[in-house]
Amino acid sequence: MKGSISAMNKNKVVLASFCILASAVVFSACKDPQSTGLEYARNMYDPIAYNPDQPNKNFKNGATAQTPPANTTPVGFNKYDDYPNTKEGYEAAGANLKNPLPETEQNLIAGKHYFTVFCSPCHGEKGDGQGHLVKIDKVSGIPSYHGDAASSRGGLMKDLTAGKIYHTIEYGLNNMGSHASQLSPDERWKVVMYVQQLQKIQ
Amino acid sequence: MRDISLIIRRVWKSAFMFTALSVLIVSATQAQDVVEGRKIFKDKCSSCHQLDRNSTGPALTAKMNELDEAFTIKWVRNWKALVDAGDKQAIEAAKFSPSEMTTFPTLTDDQIKNVIAYAKAGEPKKEGDAAATTATADTGVSDFSIAGIVAIILISIAVLVVLGRAIKMLERLILQKRGVVLTEEDNVSLVVGVRRLFKNKKFVFFFILCLVVSLGSFGWMGMWNTGVHTGYQPVQPIKFSHELHAGTNQIDCQYCHSGAFKSKNASIPSVNVCMNCHKSVQATEKYNGEISPEIQKIYTAIGYDPATLTYDKSKEKPVEWIRVHNLPDFAYFNHSQHVVVGEEAIRKQKGLQPNEPVCFACHGPVNTMEEVYQFSPLTMKWCINCHKDAEISGKDNAFYTKVIEAHEKIKKGEKITPALLGGLECGKCHY
Repeated sequence: MKGSISAMNKNKVVLASFCILASAVVFSACKDPQSTGLEYARNMYDPIAYNPDQPNKNFKNGATAQTPPANTTPVGFNKYDDYPNTKEGYEAAGANLKNPLPETEQNLIAGKHYFTVFCSPCHGEKGDGQGHLVKIDKVSGIPSYHGDAASSRGGLMKDLTAGKIYHTIEYGLNNMGSHASQLSPDERWKVVMYVQQLQKIQ
Repeated sequence: MRDISLIIRRVWKSAFMFTALSVLIVSATQAQDVVEGRKIFKDKCSSCHQLDRNSTGPALTAKMNELDEAFTIKWVRNWKALVDAGDKQAIEAAKFSPSEMTTFPTLTDDQIKNVIAYAKAGEPKKEGDAAATTATADTGVSDFSIAGIVAIILISIAVLVVLGRAIKMLERLILQKRGVVLTEEDNVSLVVGVRRLFKNKKFVFFFILCLVVSLGSFGWMGMWNTGVHTGYQPVQPIKFSHELHAGTNQIDCQYCHSGAFKSKNASIPSVNVCMNCHKSVQATEKYNGEISPEIQKIYTAIGYDPATLTYDKSKEKPVEWIRVHNLPDFAYFNHSQHVVVGEEAIRKQKGLQPNEPVCFACHGPVNTMEEVYQFSPLTMKWCINCHKDAEISGKDNAFYTKVIEAHEKIKKGEKITPALLGGLECGKCHY
């Protein structure tokens, strides 16, 4: 009698472990793409300091990435004369601002790179206003840098001065947005240098 | 009499032909007008004007229905002259926005009339729309086929069970006819049957062996994959499609992730970068003239009112994107070091095509991902293997020329300081 009870218990143990195994296999079989899976010592993964993309309750808007305080300039950031985003500011920038960078091959190569990444989707590789997004009919009305295309702020596109181009990159115009957050002032000047080469295309 | 009727018939015939022809010609020229007008509109007007809504300039369809054609032509040619001449209608129209409209003195009367015709007619319906809906129906097929296969398997199992029962019944009937007395062993319950099975020592041994092997391999795999997030694909607050933006629209990775080339982080774009395009791109054609709900989420985040084209800073609400690639805090990874300095080596090592961005080496074919998922395991072994094999070319690489310079100085016995080797970088200590 005693033997049969122990045999029964043994059977129960085996049966229970069988059930656990089956359920474990079933649950692990469907991998949930929204889960990061098993993790060990999670606290070694989580940063102690705040990462820029993390929420942060210490700030009013709840984000760690804050805009720099007014009137401050980051280290290594060349700020050029600031002209306001008005028609007067645009004209003044056009008259007074000159490209501070020397026209070297290196600067032009960098300018071409930034132009290809940030401008050519709409303005086209050659600045003819026929970028990929224009060709697939996502955006339209992009003026050409050369030929007889007119600027909406007066004059021909090919006659725009460096300062005016810089002002437009900084603030945007009409449907074009400001590219100041993507291009640092020095990078903008490199783009201006390259755009002025494209203006010369006949 | 007969002549008269013939003449009438002829006249009627020619009149009919004439009207039919003229109707055809008129409709054809009108269509031509609209097509021509659309071309000019897209080329010259659409950077400021939309047909159905205000942007930099007023919504054109409504405006053209309201204004007189002769006035519009004069206005487009040189509105400034009209305002200077004291035209009341022009002065009123100029008040729409502080930004001034471009003048188009070179456009002819016909060209401007074509644009007006286009603005009044509106955007022609595209033939592609119907094709698009059938295409989406096609993609559903794969789901259907999987469901079909599952259904077939289930049905065949059911058929097998039923057939098995039927065979048993028939066997019983045969035995009964032969006069064999049946013991009711078939009615033994399942639990008792399993118990009997577990009394069999061979079966118990085999079962335990299976258990050990499967648990062992399961545990082994589980431990290997602990902390490995390959395939992680969280649902993001905005249904941003990399397939559309990086694939169809061919926008460079760096346009949005501009930090990847100059800093440690690839940087998630702030919403103002989205607005560079989505100020005008609203995908209204896919939502019956309404702004796409996903694009509306951008507007909500940045506090933008598409009706008045104004931003309200107090309504800003950052988008809470969910990070896909989580490197543990104790591992340091720098994007610019790989994307700029190591580009050539990585391209060669991972066999990338020249038209593919170097980012694909680790992030996979992002231009085909509707929703982004983690492509590479990001484990230490994965890093180490690449670092062992990738071949660095020091030629024409500004980073390595500096290293070589420093080595030359050491060789010559010149003074060399940590500052020369980048020891003044803030991030060397404060990371």
